[in-house]
Amino acid sequence: MKPIVELMDVVKEFPLGKVTVRALRGVSLQIGRGEFVAIAGPSGSGKTTLLNQVGCVDTPTRGTVRIDGQSTSELAESALTKLRLHKLGFIFQTFNLVPVLDLAQNVELPLLLKGGLTRGERDRRVREIVDQVGLTEQLGQRPNELSGGQRQRVAIARALVTGPNIVLADEPTANLDSATGEQILDLMERLNRDQETTFIFSTHDSRVMAHARRLVTLVDGKISSDEATEAAA
Amino acid sequence: MFALMAWRNLRQGGRRTTLLGLALAMVTGLLVLLMSLSDGVNDSMIKGATSLAAGHVNVAGFYKATPDEGFPMITETGKVKAVAQEAVAGLATVIDRHRGWSRVVSDAGSIWAALYGVSVEQEQRLLQTLRPARLGDYVEDLDGLDPDAREGDMRDLAEADTAMLFVTQARRLGVRVGDALTIRTETLRGQSNTVDVRIVAVMDDLGLMSNWSIFLPKQTILQLYGLDDDTTGAVMLYLDDIERAPQVMEQLRTAYAEAGFDVMEHDPRPFFAKFQTISGQEWTGQKIDITTWTDEVSFLVWVITAIDSVSALLITILTIIIAVGIMNALWIAVRERTTEIGTLRAIGMSRGRVLAMFLTEALMLGLFGTLIGAVGGALLAVGVDALAIPIPSQAVQAILMNDRLHLVVEPAEVLGVIVGFTVMCGLSALWPAARAANMPPITAIHITE
Ligand SMILES: Nc1ncnc2c1ncn2[C@@H]1O[C@H](COP(=O)(O)OP(=O)(O)OP(=O)(O)O)[C@@H](O)[C@H]1O
Ligand SMILES: [Mg+2]
Repeated sequence: MKPIVELMDVVKEFPLGKVTVRALRGVSLQIGRGEFVAIAGPSGSGKTTLLNQVGCVDTPTRGTVRIDGQSTSELAESALTKLRLHKLGFIFQTFNLVPVLDLAQNVELPLLLKGGLTRGERDRRVREIVDQVGLTEQLGQRPNELSGGQRQRVAIARALVTGPNIVLADEPTANLDSATGEQILDLMERLNRDQETTFIFSTHDSRVMAHARRLVTLVDGKISSDEATEAAA
Repeated sequence: MFALMAWRNLRQGGRRTTLLGLALAMVTGLLVLLMSLSDGVNDSMIKGATSLAAGHVNVAGFYKATPDEGFPMITETGKVKAVAQEAVAGLATVIDRHRGWSRVVSDAGSIWAALYGVSVEQEQRLLQTLRPARLGDYVEDLDGLDPDAREGDMRDLAEADTAMLFVTQARRLGVRVGDALTIRTETLRGQSNTVDVRIVAVMDDLGLMSNWSIFLPKQTILQLYGLDDDTTGAVMLYLDDIERAPQVMEQLRTAYAEAGFDVMEHDPRPFFAKFQTISGQEWTGQKIDITTWTDEVSFLVWVITAIDSVSALLITILTIIIAVGIMNALWIAVRERTTEIGTLRAIGMSRGRVLAMFLTEALMLGLFGTLIGAVGGALLAVGVDALAIPIPSQAVQAILMNDRLHLVVEPAEVLGVIVGFTVMCGLSALWPAARAANMPPITAIHITE
């Protein structure tokens, strides 16, 4: 099967005054449809940088990143925006909900950006996904009325509502207590199983890593290990 | 929903938004007020000019018996009127008045005045515009008289050797209704001539014009200057639509030339400013001079120009301040919402949409602010006009050409102000909004660390 994410010898450098920070030093990686992958590694090892390349919010200095067969460095900003809208979902460490919109509106937003759906269809999809993350009761509440765990569940719903191929999550549990973090991971796992959506998330929490079926470890901008976990068995 | 986001973000702006909106409302209101003042003065001027001194279009002329002396007169009045009636469609009224310029003497003093010889039955417009003045406004020693009484009747100008004057003149001459005046003038042949007239009406001033306008029966002027019956000073044409005046003037220029009249070049000055030029020229006989009402009051137009210039200056400064305010507020908003913008870009919002989102915010603020300001200003203007507040200073009265504060609200202008200011808000927002649109989506992830 063709990989949905394919990195070939990806190098990312940040010029910082006279020195150049090399965040990724030749990363090659293939991820297939429906995988549940954790990116681990110490602080500064390049996890966020890697996810940014996959998430099309940044392009590599050298090497190729292909999303569903398309090389991101060949695309213009508007095409990358479309790619993000149609194929990718984002979950952020700090949730990043739109504070002036309520829960339902936050989740509806990507559908509106996508366009082509009637209000009824949008409502139906929003209800369905909100029900799956278990927040039907909170539908009309604003982000500041929700707990951290609830907010992250809204963010998951927002990431999944358009039915993306890949969901990227940069340390999705870092701002949550461990019990809530576990719940979020369980939820992600369930959605991954139910919908065959590829999940790629970064973390440096070993308990979180334990949920992944594949664990990619970065050290100093290079992959030091890439293995199936016990959870995969 | 994007409009909702813009609206809620605006409200989120709190004090900043409120202050900006308020400032915008105040400047808009001020502009509407100033514009209605300018329109009010214009209105007073049109009313004053077109009832006292000029028709919308005037067919006057000069008659020269010798090369160095011109007299403001046309012969063949009947024919002149006929040509106008033939050539112009949409004429409301056609009247004619004699013109003169002379010394007016009373027991207490004397003034120079433009004389208008009228047939009172032609002067319906004037009759409707003027109002007898309060005795208290011009009689010094009331001596038991009721200061609020208004004496005299313009219609008595139908009687021979009568005169109607205005309150400022009456005060200067120390006269009231029933008193006698002597009009002293020179005839065409250079003889000095006088006639005694009886005052039949003293009217409220109608702007500056009324300081030097005195109305007499036609017969008195004919007699004063020794003229014959078919002469007049000016034929005054009133149109259905005053805006057509320049066009009609051009039309008449051709019509009179074709009818065999000798038509003077267009000179946009009032008739009394032309004597000097006329007496410097070689010709003798009759020439026709066609003008619009604006020509006849061109010496007053500076007032409107001045009001408009001051308003323009003031509004420009205030607009710049507000534009900078809006730009600044939006800069702050863009900075505060960096993560949000980055997030929206990351989840697939296009640059164009981000730009539109911030522009919408600015346009909404602009529309609300200006709408409130414009409506407030317009209501205030209508209210002030309805109160007819008397202007205390005579100098200001003269400048504003009215003894009351007169404001006219032009809905089209108010609409223009609203649209203009809203567009200005959008334009000021363009730069910060573009900046937001160009923000890389990566900021969604980065900035929070
Ligand atoms: N925009 C940037 N400009 C300069 N240097 C950067 C930039 N982004 C990342 N870096 C550098 O690249 C390296 C990798 O950073 P990255 O954020 O990918 O690490 P990380 O594994 O996500 O770390 P953490 O666990 O702390 O989030 C670091 O040394 C970082 O300082
Ligand atoms: Mg990181």
